[in-house]
Amino acid sequence: MNSLAAIFRQNRASLLTLLGLVLLPFIAGMFEGASPAAVWVNAAGTSKFIQGLAIEIFILALYALSFDLIFGITGLLSFGHSMFFSVGAYLTGILLKSFGLNLWQTIGVVFLAAIAQAVLFGIVLPRVKGITFALVTLGMASVFHILVMSRELGDYTGADVGLQGVIVPDFISPANERLRFYFVALAVMVLAYLLYQRFVASPTGRVCVAIRENEGRARMLGYNTFSFKFAALLLSSITAAFAGTLHCLYQPIVSPNTASMGFTVTALLIVLLGGVGTLNGALVGALVYRLLDFGLRRYIGESASFINGAIYVAFVLFIPYGIVGTWMLKSFEIKKGWERLVGMVKK
Amino acid sequence: MTQFLRKNLILILTLAAFLAVFIAAGQGMERKDFVITLLRGLSVGSLTFLVASGFSLIFGLLDVLNLAHGTLFMIGAYLGWTVYVRPDTFVDVLTPLALLIGGFTLSALWTKLSALLPASARTNKIFPWALLLVAALLAFTVITRYPISSWDTENFSQAPGSYSLMLDQGAPLAPPAVSFDKINPALALLGLLLASSLGAFGLSLFGQQTQSPKLTVKEFIPFGLLALIGFGAFAANDALTAFLTGLSNNWLFLIALLVATLSGIGLGALMESTLIRPLYSRPIYQLMLTLGMSAIGIEVVRAIWGRPEFVMPKPDIFSGSGQGCPATTLAAWWDKNCSIVLLFEGRVRVYNEIFIPLVGILVLIAVWILLQRTRLGMVIRAGVQDREMVEALGINVRRVFTLVFALGVGLAALGGILAAPSMGLSNAMGESLLLNALIALAIGGLTSYPGAALGSLLVGLLQQFMIKYGQIGIAIPFTEIIFKPTPPIVPASTVLLMVIILLLMPNGLLGKKE
Repeated sequence: MNSLAAIFRQNRASLLTLLGLVLLPFIAGMFEGASPAAVWVNAAGTSKFIQGLAIEIFILALYALSFDLIFGITGLLSFGHSMFFSVGAYLTGILLKSFGLNLWQTIGVVFLAAIAQAVLFGIVLPRVKGITFALVTLGMASVFHILVMSRELGDYTGADVGLQGVIVPDFISPANERLRFYFVALAVMVLAYLLYQRFVASPTGRVCVAIRENEGRARMLGYNTFSFKFAALLLSSITAAFAGTLHCLYQPIVSPNTASMGFTVTALLIVLLGGVGTLNGALVGALVYRLLDFGLRRYIGESASFINGAIYVAFVLFIPYGIVGTWMLKSFEIKKGWERLVGMVKK
Repeated sequence: MTQFLRKNLILILTLAAFLAVFIAAGQGMERKDFVITLLRGLSVGSLTFLVASGFSLIFGLLDVLNLAHGTLFMIGAYLGWTVYVRPDTFVDVLTPLALLIGGFTLSALWTKLSALLPASARTNKIFPWALLLVAALLAFTVITRYPISSWDTENFSQAPGSYSLMLDQGAPLAPPAVSFDKINPALALLGLLLASSLGAFGLSLFGQQTQSPKLTVKEFIPFGLLALIGFGAFAANDALTAFLTGLSNNWLFLIALLVATLSGIGLGALMESTLIRPLYSRPIYQLMLTLGMSAIGIEVVRAIWGRPEFVMPKPDIFSGSGQGCPATTLAAWWDKNCSIVLLFEGRVRVYNEIFIPLVGILVLIAVWILLQRTRLGMVIRAGVQDREMVEALGINVRRVFTLVFALGVGLAALGGILAAPSMGLSNAMGESLLLNALIALAIGGLTSYPGAALGSLLVGLLQQFMIKYGQIGIAIPFTEIIFKPTPPIVPASTVLLMVIILLLMPNGLLGKKE
């Protein structure tokens, strides 16, 4: 009992955020005067819209989290990360639509495919390093992008229009059962985040951080760096593929843009906004990124990407550690300053 | 000899395989098709090379992966187009631009002045920002009222595309007349000069230098030159416009090439010294910064020149037609300036397939001489090998960094304006070329100059042969099947080539082994 209270005290902020997220649909409904019961049965309204936006943020957060694991934690710069995501999205859509599998079988196949593409990246991994690895992964991802866009596979992928007309199982349909979808997405994100935290805190994760800091030294200490990097890649690939699956289930169209390099850059941007290598930075970054993008497109229109780019540059120049990273740095100073203040008062 | 063979076995085998494929590809088509495809490959290769060589120099010396290089290529194209199609706009822009830059060239004076200010911690924090704000407001007020004869992207009859089209038809549109009716001309010029001086003074207050530089006449030369350009262009605005418009468009094209390259060099120097320089200690962030710059650059181009694609007419020397064309001999071409010559009975477009590769080869040789035969080139080569050693020898590497970055961007801008008449101008022209250049560099070796040339050539040839075979089809041996590569396979083929070569030789064909 005592330890439970201690856990609660240590993670007060996270638990409160989680509680807030669980209650969010109902609170959002209340602003409009919709009762929680109405929200429960998925009545149309602001709450449903907010839920939709939140689901998109959860999916983006999941995707950014998986990128942070290989880029921020393990230090592998991959430009092919959008492939991890889009393979999950396209495979889910195609299996459900063209092959008539049910959802669980689909998830199983996506799981296997995620392992397969991690192995594909793993084959390249020991051969090329640094910027060459980025280029090779970019190459593999753009081959996948071209495949998705090609007319020969258009019957399955929908070519440059995008994959549409996927019939989502009724019990999780984003139109009628959005609240359930919301909780599923939230649960997946929270579980992935906990798993990632556990992974980074585990001995394996510590070695991954060591590889980021100095790979040569990690190898000198006797670690087979390849297997650690591969483990991170595997976990990241599976997470990103599941984010893709959720994306496919939620969105009416899977756009081929999710396979392009631009989508990898989105992940990079989110991680940068939140703070590289901080895990919860990816979640905060996804929130800020999606809301910013949404607001700018709504109120400014077409030139939104100019402001996006400007914010990006400003972050690189002035806030290099991102939101969470800067908070972590400054919170120590704030705490020290607070203590000094308290000390002066006591005297 | 045997040792050399053993060391470079993979390289030799790969090159032999390329040669075999190349010969086989030549067997499958008619001679005239082969010649045309070869020339087109050279042309694409040359443009790729202009982007790739600058990119590789920058990456080799500065360790900066400049992902904004494609955008700078595009900006070069648009700037060149402006000089070529709308020389009057170019003349109008000259004055405010020169005056706005003018103040910043007087850094020695500002440092001297800032030493005279009373040192007070509180005012020193606010004062520079206030100055910058005032300068920005002043510049904004003047610029929005300053008359610049421009185009109108909203109005189709005055859109950039329409100007281009009408010039090509031989009936150029008359540019809209503008005059100083919103602002007094003397006030405008003074305001611009004041704004740039205030801005520069504000900036100089940030870095508190301890030693003040000597004020000599030499410090004032750049400012004097800029002021001369600014006031000169203002005083002789009409005469200059009339002169440029009356010029034969061959000369105008040459001026456009020069202006695009020079502004590329200026832009590169500015970008390196303000944005890239603070980030040398954080390599990954440079990459992200250039990505952001690329997004901003595309949006700026969209805001100024609009989203629709448009063409740029070719200069007269490459666009003749009528009696005696297509030319069959060099003398006939020179006589009529035909746009097409017959080579082995194939119709070859002079600008696209002969002029661009020629310029590419010229630049290749010029930069090669610069790298091999000059002191600067020696420093660059040494810096690519071991930067710290060069620094330790007492050479100002930072200045060389700025020079190389400027040179690289200048080459990209030159590539842009060269590509404009053949490719047309679009917001996306930079991205595809950057991807080509990246692939070419990965194939040839990231920091190797000959590698950049070889890789660009391979990428260009492969793409063009794939496109050609997309039309005639490849007969697969021993079967009846005729395989026709579709358009998506063209980029995929180069990417696949890159992946295969990188897996065989992680440093590229000519990259140095670590």
